[in-house]
Amino acid sequence: MIELAKIVKRYQEHEVLRGVSLRVADGEVCVLLGPSGGGKSTLLRTINGLETFDSGTIRVGDVVLQATPGPERDKALAIIRQRVGMVFQQFNLFPHRTVLQNVTEAPIHVLKQPPEVAVATARRLLERVGMLEKQDVRPGSLSGGQQQRVAIARTLAMSPEAILFDEPTSALDPRTTAEVISVMTDLAAAGQRMIIVTHAMSFARTVAHRVHILHAGTIAESGPPEQIFEDPQTDITRSFLSEAAIA
Amino acid sequence: MSDASRRSRLSFHGAFALIVATQVLFACVLPEAACADQALDAIRQRGTLIWGADQEGGGPFVYPRPDDPSQLTGFEVELAELIAAHLGVKAQFAQGQWDKLPDVMDRGDLDIVLNGYEWTPNRAQRYGLSIPYYIYELQLLGRVGDESLMSWDDLLKPIDGRRRKVSVLGGTAAQDYIEQLGEGKIDLALFEGATDAMEATELGLSGVDANMQDLPVWTFYSQGFPRLRPIGGPVGRGYYVALTRQADTDLLKAVNEAILKALQDGSLRRILARYRMWNETQMMRGLETNASGGFVGSSISGAEVSDQPADVPTSRFEQSSGWQVIWQRGGLLIDAAGMTVLLSVTAMPLAVLIGLVIALSRLYGPGWLRIPAACYVELVRGTPLVLQLYLIYFLLPKLLDTMFPGAGLTINAFTAAVMGLAINYSAYEAEIYRGGIQSIPKGQMEAAISLGMSKALALRRVIVPQATRLVLPPMTNDFIALFKDTAVCSVITVVELSKMYYIQARSAGAIVELGLLTGLLYLAMSYPLSIVTNRLEKNLSQERRS
Repeated sequence: MIELAKIVKRYQEHEVLRGVSLRVADGEVCVLLGPSGGGKSTLLRTINGLETFDSGTIRVGDVVLQATPGPERDKALAIIRQRVGMVFQQFNLFPHRTVLQNVTEAPIHVLKQPPEVAVATARRLLERVGMLEKQDVRPGSLSGGQQQRVAIARTLAMSPEAILFDEPTSALDPRTTAEVISVMTDLAAAGQRMIIVTHAMSFARTVAHRVHILHAGTIAESGPPEQIFEDPQTDITRSFLSEAAIA
Repeated sequence: MSDASRRSRLSFHGAFALIVATQVLFACVLPEAACADQALDAIRQRGTLIWGADQEGGGPFVYPRPDDPSQLTGFEVELAELIAAHLGVKAQFAQGQWDKLPDVMDRGDLDIVLNGYEWTPNRAQRYGLSIPYYIYELQLLGRVGDESLMSWDDLLKPIDGRRRKVSVLGGTAAQDYIEQLGEGKIDLALFEGATDAMEATELGLSGVDANMQDLPVWTFYSQGFPRLRPIGGPVGRGYYVALTRQADTDLLKAVNEAILKALQDGSLRRILARYRMWNETQMMRGLETNASGGFVGSSISGAEVSDQPADVPTSRFEQSSGWQVIWQRGGLLIDAAGMTVLLSVTAMPLAVLIGLVIALSRLYGPGWLRIPAACYVELVRGTPLVLQLYLIYFLLPKLLDTMFPGAGLTINAFTAAVMGLAINYSAYEAEIYRGGIQSIPKGQMEAAISLGMSKALALRRVIVPQATRLVLPPMTNDFIALFKDTAVCSVITVVELSKMYYIQARSAGAIVELGLLTGLLYLAMSYPLSIVTNRLEKNLSQERRS
């Protein structure tokens, strides 16, 4: 279970997150939607400490992450980062390592897995995302979609309890977007818990168990996709959906 | 070479003034060495008298032997052997930059300095000065066939409204003499080498009309400069003396005894005659030493010196040129190039390593580390390499001695040179690394820590390897620069390629041939690195494109 309670974040005077609370149950696929600048990515990045926050708490299983910096927060983050993976909009693969090495890097050096074990796992995961045949090339020679699939395999190699997806298809063209969405749909089907920030509406609708509309630093509406997309309860959701439909 | 000949490169005067000030400070803080009056015992125990001089000064003082340039010759070489023999030990030569020799002696690396140092009141207060072993005079030299310059009077007359220009060694008695005489009516051209000054005069470079030269130098080199001729008689008499540390009075006394004995039994005259340095002036000298080794100047008549046969075989400047000189002296240059390579390949990896640590401290270190790291870079980058070398070589041993008295911690010249180069370049490498690390996209660090890596692990496995690839081309570039900067290490007695070139070129008079060879050697060392840099840059740009 991941639980965010009253998360507040300010940039100087501006409140980016205004006391956001959110709960992601085990095995749940949670999608954050909303207009740009609504705080979706920021919220997502507070969970694994890429962004700090000013008040509130984040709970990942039995680990509690506080806003106050210090050794306690560092300790909590170290555990959370091993349990919660992240997939970025810009993939952020390590360009100086091969595809296979990208996937084995953390298991070998963080989890201290024996290299044979890490390599075997990595091959299986690359197979799963359809990238096994590219295992020996460097990321620079791959398309964006291929890189994102490798990035997903890299995250999966840490056997995360949850994966945070930060606009994973925004940097991709429609064809490669489909590749990545199909991989993510498979993951969802396999019961992988995910928190996804995205603009891909139809994808959100098919995979999400729960959708949250984030607007101006607060959650405007939460609910199952059927409710959000077919029977929105708030004006904010309605106007967001109509604008998204035009775009 | 006389007086404060070739005293420091002028551009560094300020820096050295600072050092001198620091040294004075140190001298006040540190108790006087407790080993007074034991220098002679130490020398006898060791079995060698270590004497310092600069081969670059050339003939007739100390210079590579024309027939075997790996050996030394010169009247001071023979004099050193004579003094050593008197002490019952062997003479051992130690190379040092001329103007730094007293400092090297203070540091304890030399027993005596024997290299055309002139007696001056200032020097007499600071060091133990022996009785003179030679009375030198200055000689004005003009061009053969220059009718406009036939006498000292002519020198003071402007020609076509232009003042006469005289070449001298910078900071020497010759310079002082001309300045006093000319009172602004004569222009000076300062040179660093005696033969350079003569050559410039012979060729009339930069409007030089005449050269003021130490007489023994002129006598020695006269054959090599057939288009120069003396004008008037010798002037401006002065005394060459040996230097010891002030505390080593027993050594000074023994040196004086040796010189006096050599004067009286004629062996000094024989040595001087071999280098065409014996003249009337030497016979007119009146010398005496008192019990404490002071130079008081009384009388020994020239007649007391036993007459020498007139046909003593003499040494003089032998110009060699062409393939012969390259054949003869090329090996020495190649050996010295080995020192250049050794200095570079030892210093550069250290510089890169220190640079990386500094860069990481500045970017990721805790607050209390960032500021000192930034200061380090600014301090090291903002001060000249020559100053840093000087501090490490001359001042660090004193500091160590104060901090750990009796531990006997010393830093030899090579270690000091490597340290100096490594520290100097580490500041530049730190900045290159900092730029390299900063140009790695932020997402790399985010991805790494999102995978559970600690910051240190992320730096080691993700950031630094990528940054290193980026910084390799500029660092290889710096490596080439460091190759050439090793030349500065000659100030702390390290003889590398450039210093060896100056030594050999000036003693052989083969500036062009050996200069080309030296240039070729530098090129042979740096060109492969240039190729490597180009290749690295190409690979990198290809990688970035894909």
